[in-house]
Amino acid sequence: MTLHSKITGAVSGIAVSCIAFAAQADVLFWSTQAKPVEESQAMREQVLSGAGEVDYQPNDPGPWITRLNAELQADSGTIGVLGALHGDFSAMDPDDLVDLSDLGVMSASSTFNDLSKLGTDSMQYIPWMQASYIMAANKEALQYLPEGADVDALTYDQLIAWGQNVMTATGEAKFGFPAGPKGLKHRFFQGYLYPSYTNGVVRSFASDEAVTAWEKMRELWAVTNPASTNFSFLQEQLLSGDAWIVFDHTSRLAQAFNERPDDFIAFPAPAGPTGRGFMPVLAGVAIPRTAPDMEASKALVAHMLKPETQIATLRATNFFPVVDVDLPGDLPPAVTAAGDAVAKMSGSADANPGLLPAGLGDKGGDFNRVFVDSFERIVLGGQDIRAVLDDQKGKLAAIMEETGAPCWAPDAPSEGACPVE
Amino acid sequence: MTDAAVNDVSVDTRKSGRFLYGASVVFLCAWVIVPIYFLLINTLSSPETVNSFPKPFIPEFDFGSLQFFAGFSGMLTALKNSVIVALLTMIMSIIIGAPAGYALSRFDFPGKGLFRMLILLTRAFPLPLLALPLAVMFIQTGLDDTAFGLALVHTTLAIPFAVLITFSLFSGIPIELEEAAWTLGCTRLTAFTKVVLPLILPGITASAIFAFVISWNEVFAAAVLTIENRTLTAFLLQNLDTSPLHLKFAGGFILVVPALIFIFAVRKYLFAMWGIANR
Repeated sequence: MTLHSKITGAVSGIAVSCIAFAAQADVLFWSTQAKPVEESQAMREQVLSGAGEVDYQPNDPGPWITRLNAELQADSGTIGVLGALHGDFSAMDPDDLVDLSDLGVMSASSTFNDLSKLGTDSMQYIPWMQASYIMAANKEALQYLPEGADVDALTYDQLIAWGQNVMTATGEAKFGFPAGPKGLKHRFFQGYLYPSYTNGVVRSFASDEAVTAWEKMRELWAVTNPASTNFSFLQEQLLSGDAWIVFDHTSRLAQAFNERPDDFIAFPAPAGPTGRGFMPVLAGVAIPRTAPDMEASKALVAHMLKPETQIATLRATNFFPVVDVDLPGDLPPAVTAAGDAVAKMSGSADANPGLLPAGLGDKGGDFNRVFVDSFERIVLGGQDIRAVLDDQKGKLAAIMEETGAPCWAPDAPSEGACPVE
Repeated sequence: MTDAAVNDVSVDTRKSGRFLYGASVVFLCAWVIVPIYFLLINTLSSPETVNSFPKPFIPEFDFGSLQFFAGFSGMLTALKNSVIVALLTMIMSIIIGAPAGYALSRFDFPGKGLFRMLILLTRAFPLPLLALPLAVMFIQTGLDDTAFGLALVHTTLAIPFAVLITFSLFSGIPIELEEAAWTLGCTRLTAFTKVVLPLILPGITASAIFAFVISWNEVFAAAVLTIENRTLTAFLLQNLDTSPLHLKFAGGFILVVPALIFIFAVRKYLFAMWGIANR
């Protein structure tokens, strides 16, 4: 590198940075969703192609919230539209989001519309798309199903027995669980294990039923591939054959179904004594109060809720529509498989939906931590279940009292903060 | 004991010494090359091969993953931004860091120890903590979303290395050399440019490479402080961790190659340090 070329580089750098100021007419869509490169490509090319000039930028949650807070503090913004999970929005001050009730669009589900009010009287974000967590299996594993078990109506005991059969037959533990650093294991405890065994999450955190639930989790872990502490996207392990039976987010299983649709099946989560716990995931779009062009932002939000945009979003991200649409017949295999499993799960007679934690504000991460720590101490560390739960109970109660969050389903409603019983 | 026996022993030691030396060289080379080679193989493989095991040792030259990135809008702009920011960082951290290193090694001034300490302290605060106030300030001053603004932040990260590396370089050059130059008619500046600078050029290159790589690898500040002018790492790295395996490999390859090319381009300055200049 000669001195000359260095100087040229510096000069052109400064020149470019000056030019960059001039043009900024696009609506900036600042999102935490559709992050994988293929999905963001599809968002840009298919979903947003008819929405005028939109710059779609997916981010990690850290930079996402930092940039947003900086713009709010500086009172000057470039972000036009926010896309994020319900949990991200509930961590924000509702005053920083523009009221969207008068926009005239909303989802078909009144539960979702209520959630989007974030405890105020008007909609702070518009529900955008939904997903859930399901089970998936390699078809080779089906021959080891325990006798009399229906894969679409499994119980936790049958799931453990199934894993045991596979292990006996192949000599390897082939249940896959997203316990990796980026894995969504806490959602399994909050939305699946606890509702299925204790019919609650917060109230019943340290109940006797919860002890049973963790005992079952230990049994399940015994037939789980021990490398699961590195698994965060179970589609990879399904494809590589490291896991045959897995639990994960629908969009984190999609690649397996799209690449080898004939090799895998999707099915509902198992049921426990108090029903088939499952957790719907909700993403929304919102407008920060610092949006540079309010009209353009509102137009983009309205565009995202159009039925044809919702179908395009489904193809791009494997997140399902929140408005009433007629699904076309030529959807990718992952969408049909996951859609069937979710429909069976929510339509089953013993369905026991556990909603996303709500009202926790920025304590959502600490709330998840309680469950992840319990898992690590009980299942990985082998500590006494009762002792760990009694210990973690105090932390959970402190979070609930500090935030004053009322109970959410399946916990019974509460006056004031949800009590840990 | 005869002379022959003694000779045998020393030949043996020399042989095993040479073997150990060779083995270490092979090991160190493998340490660096094998991961990059696997990155290359997996980049040039079809998704099925990437997910299978064992991996082949010869790439099958499937360009699918790379083609995906070729069609990925914004890649080239991001690459250009990354290069600009990294070069600016490199230049600024040397311009600021080298004089500071010179001052530390040549002059005694009150608070010298504290100053060295403070320089290191700039690395003591994690960027996610600093990014919010920085971004607010950048938005207010108009530095937001510019390559220059981001380069300023990266320069702050690179300066401790620049100062400490150049400090030890200057300390390694006897002051007598400079004094001799002064007696022969040089001023402080010309003595520096004619005598000291040529001697420490390899060291400067090393700290320049440090600065370049620090800027190239930095994600958080880049993701928060740039929107339209994203750097390649901010643009790609955040999205890669959730992408399918074959695209992770291809994306990683794309991130690594420009930095490798840069290091190859400046390697002759670096090697001059060990007396094998200008190959």
